[in-house]
Amino acid sequence: MRKRLIKLLSALCVTVMAGGVLVGCTGNSSSTSNDSKSSSGEKVTLTFGSHQSGLPTSGVVQELAKQFETETGIKIDFQISPDAQWRDLLKVKLDSGEAPDIFCADADPLNLVTRVNPEKYVLDVSKEEWVKRMDPNVIPSISYKDKVYGITFPGKKMYFYIYNKEIFQKLGLKVPTTYEEFKNVCQKIKDSGVTPIFEGTQNGWHQVLPLFETGAMYQQKHPDLYNKLNKNEIDLDSVPKLGTIISQLKEFATLGFYGDSYLSNSVENAKEAMAKEKAAMFISEAAWRNEVKGDFPDFDTNKLGIFVMPWGDNQAIGVNPASNAYFINKNGKHSAEALKFFEFLAKPENLKKRLDGQPGLSEICWPEIQSKYSKEDQAYIDSMQKGMVMQAGVKYIDSQWMDIGKDLEAMYTGSSTPQDVLKTIMNRRTEQAKLQKDPDWNK
Amino acid sequence: MDRNKLYPWYFTSGALIIFFLLCFLPGIIGILYSFTDWNNFTDQINFIGIKNYLEVFQGKPEYRMYIWNTVVFTTITTIMKTIVGLILALLLTQKVIKLKNFHRMIIFSPQVMSYLVVGLVFKSMLHPQTGFLNGFLNSIGLDFLAMNWLTDLKWVFPTVMSVDTWKGMGYIMVVIIAGLMSISPDYYEAANIDGANFWEKFRLITLPLLKPIIINVTILNVTYGFRVFDMIYSLTNGGPGNATGVINTAVYKEFSKGNYAMGTTLSSILFFVLLFLLYFIIKSMENKEVEM
Repeated sequence: MRKRLIKLLSALCVTVMAGGVLVGCTGNSSSTSNDSKSSSGEKVTLTFGSHQSGLPTSGVVQELAKQFETETGIKIDFQISPDAQWRDLLKVKLDSGEAPDIFCADADPLNLVTRVNPEKYVLDVSKEEWVKRMDPNVIPSISYKDKVYGITFPGKKMYFYIYNKEIFQKLGLKVPTTYEEFKNVCQKIKDSGVTPIFEGTQNGWHQVLPLFETGAMYQQKHPDLYNKLNKNEIDLDSVPKLGTIISQLKEFATLGFYGDSYLSNSVENAKEAMAKEKAAMFISEAAWRNEVKGDFPDFDTNKLGIFVMPWGDNQAIGVNPASNAYFINKNGKHSAEALKFFEFLAKPENLKKRLDGQPGLSEICWPEIQSKYSKEDQAYIDSMQKGMVMQAGVKYIDSQWMDIGKDLEAMYTGSSTPQDVLKTIMNRRTEQAKLQKDPDWNK
Repeated sequence: MDRNKLYPWYFTSGALIIFFLLCFLPGIIGILYSFTDWNNFTDQINFIGIKNYLEVFQGKPEYRMYIWNTVVFTTITTIMKTIVGLILALLLTQKVIKLKNFHRMIIFSPQVMSYLVVGLVFKSMLHPQTGFLNGFLNSIGLDFLAMNWLTDLKWVFPTVMSVDTWKGMGYIMVVIIAGLMSISPDYYEAANIDGANFWEKFRLITLPLLKPIIINVTILNVTYGFRVFDMIYSLTNGGPGNATGVINTAVYKEFSKGNYAMGTTLSSILFFVLLFLLYFIIKSMENKEVEM
């Protein structure tokens, strides 16, 4: 009898132990918040995941979050990852159910679904009052199948070469408008002992800009180009200028126009290089100069001008309506509190604070707040032709942006040729389209 | 044997259930998924046979390069860690060396640091312009030795392997020291009487008696080498280009692209290769035990 009792007890213990371990393992892993007292509305900590460029370096979002905490008692814990890793990391986090309550992601009309799979992971905010106050041009970037999923702030993006006017003047140089002129300008700057162009490939994305920000020029030469590419009627090798630009990038690297350590540099070091006049040019948005001013107050940023990237003789400004946006994790424990934070950010006074507190931003996509372009910049921008950048208009380009960054790195080190790069980009498009069962690729 | 004294079989059932559900089953399911087109964009999963495996071995050359890189990384780091660990262990068991434990602790300490931290620290130390190493080389007049350590194709892989060896050698040293301590001093005394020199003692006493330890150390190094991820991810992120990509960085890349099936295919290949290698390593260990 006693033996049987011991047997029964031991069997019970084993089962309970096994069960206990399993229950422990299957706990709701989607919740990453630190505090459990959410039901009372107090002491909730929201996790906010982002890449470096998702949050302004001035810390204005963190300041707004502190203010939000004082008003509501809801704390926000920022988790910032390097640019080069965030896209992959976010996807892995979403798929494994470990995504933060709020996350930042690059958003554009074509790639939202590949990046965050909104139907599965993101809270639908279509009915919120503030959605109607955003610029209608940005809504497609944060929407999927007619539902709005996020909130975004930066206005349309335009990249230029920021250049040091003083260095140009000293060497008697004019702003280049063709590739040949650009090459001559760079050679003269290099001969004077200054690095002509600051490039930093460590972030993975910056070196890719010349390829697709010149999309407006491609469109001028090929009417209906984006549509044809999206319908798989033609491929990227039908855009000869794209191949030309890739070869030109390689030529610049070979000629030493990026300096010696561009493969080890980060975009963050550009401010120092420009302010200390070690480099003469850098690709960025016009308002980046204000960030330089913020970090190097003694440097006169009026010395810095802008001009359109002359790669492939381009003379059109690429306009990108898309930018990064913030999304709420639908499966997180605190989506209601996260929504409250979005409402807070969308208040007119906080929008104003955000634009003023982010020196690198010229405008935000909320028409009620006025932009801060200088008169000179505005006149220059108005005088140029404009068109949509390629990554915002053509499918399967933005989703492989970081991979293209690596392809270019490989080209710079000599392990692949410009032709290989173009071929790889085309193959990756096909691969992505087939994976997503795109009907135009599976005819 | 008194069968009543044996514990009944179901005492192991708890551990078995947990092992089966959490380790064995997911592993098998993972391998099964490698025969499908499982991806992030559709809920439908179709059986596609060995298409993914064919793609790895016949498709894009990148995949083969990742496998080759992994093999090179594993072979070289295993050899380097074992040799350096052995030399350090021999040094730090000599009587002439003072403060032995202190030295051992210092050499072991990288082992307790996170791979990411080590990766990031070395990344900044190896920066060609602002890094410590090139700065040091320049300051002592050895400018010609200053390289682009992490971006020059010639140097990047040796650099990554050296950093990994630096981090892992302390652990190997500690294991070998434990082995050395267990060798009876009588052998050495007898050899001394016979007039053996250091090299003879090392070759004829130390090395044969250390063999089981060295086999264990090799298993540890090989299994680590094949699974390496953090070190490469933090130092080069597989770059420049894909020059330092290994199987696990490729698995991560495929998962992040949403191509789960290819990710599981690559990790299944890793699993089979490891299983195959471990079988032979363990087999050779068993033989040794029989001989003894």
